[in-house]
Amino acid sequence: MQVIETIDSQVKLQEVFSTKSGSVSQCDRENCWYIDFAGKVSRFDYRCLLLLKKAVYNIDIEALLLKNAKSADIEIVFICASDHFYVLSTLEIIALKELLQGTFTMLELNHIIQDRLYRLAV
Amino acid sequence: MKDIMRAKCLISAEIESLINQQIRKEAQSSAIYLAMASWCDRNGFDNSAAYFFKQSDEERHHQLKFFKYILDMGGTSVSPDITGLKIEYNSFREIFEDALDQEISVTQSIKSIAARCHKEQDYVTLEFLNWFFKEQREEEYKARRAIELFEIIGEQGTGHWEIDKHIGKIQYDSEA
Ligand SMILES: [Fe+2]
Repeated sequence: MQVIETIDSQVKLQEVFSTKSGSVSQCDRENCWYIDFAGKVSRFDYRCLLLLKKAVYNIDIEALLLKNAKSADIEIVFICASDHFYVLSTLEIIALKELLQGTFTMLELNHIIQDRLYRLAV
Repeated sequence: MKDIMRAKCLISAEIESLINQQIRKEAQSSAIYLAMASWCDRNGFDNSAAYFFKQSDEERHHQLKFFKYILDMGGTSVSPDITGLKIEYNSFREIFEDALDQEISVTQSIKSIAARCHKEQDYVTLEFLNWFFKEQREEEYKARRAIELFEIIGEQGTGHWEIDKHIGKIQYDSEA
């Protein structure tokens, strides 16, 4: 995986997954992820990342697409007990979902690699 | 890259979600048995009412066991909402037939969690499930025995009174 240098050279980020609309990187030292999406970079710990996943996966995209065009095409993704929130259009929600799905697949893959290779070897 | 997810939680997202479904199922069983206790009490079957009150408590206990397991493993357990309960039954016998159906479906859903555990090689959860398999053996045995009372004693005359008298005495004492 590609290693990205941040402004603070001490903190090494590894890209987990990226699409043309955003990227997710992991910081091993801080045990967290940085999500670069919709023009901002936000830091998510384990609990918040799972809450974001749940919030985004629970959005009924089909219903949004079929919604009366007169109302604003805007959805607020808000995560309880954190300062994270996104104000997104339907297309952005689809893009964020794609980004998260890829991210969780890569994290799962990383888990399998860790389990089957490293943990057995040491 | 560090496996942060694994460090935070022993069980996978799939197992967590299956166990959360099981929590709902156990809560549902508990609520159903309570409704059955109510029907039995209203219709004068005191021993059966007591039997179902006890069953309801046991199901609640199972629910909490699953609930705490998820939390202990680092996951998120969800407290379920239960709706659409049956309140009236057509007959005394129907209650026991429904009870057996419920237990069979609980056994089945625990089996499918175990199948998933095998697939993921989650031997930790598998070992945890063993207690429930033993419990289901007992639950199904008791439910089956209760229905057999209807065959053996018969429903004519004082049959129902006799059946109710014997419900509380059903016991499973296998050493195996
Ligand atoms: Fe149970």
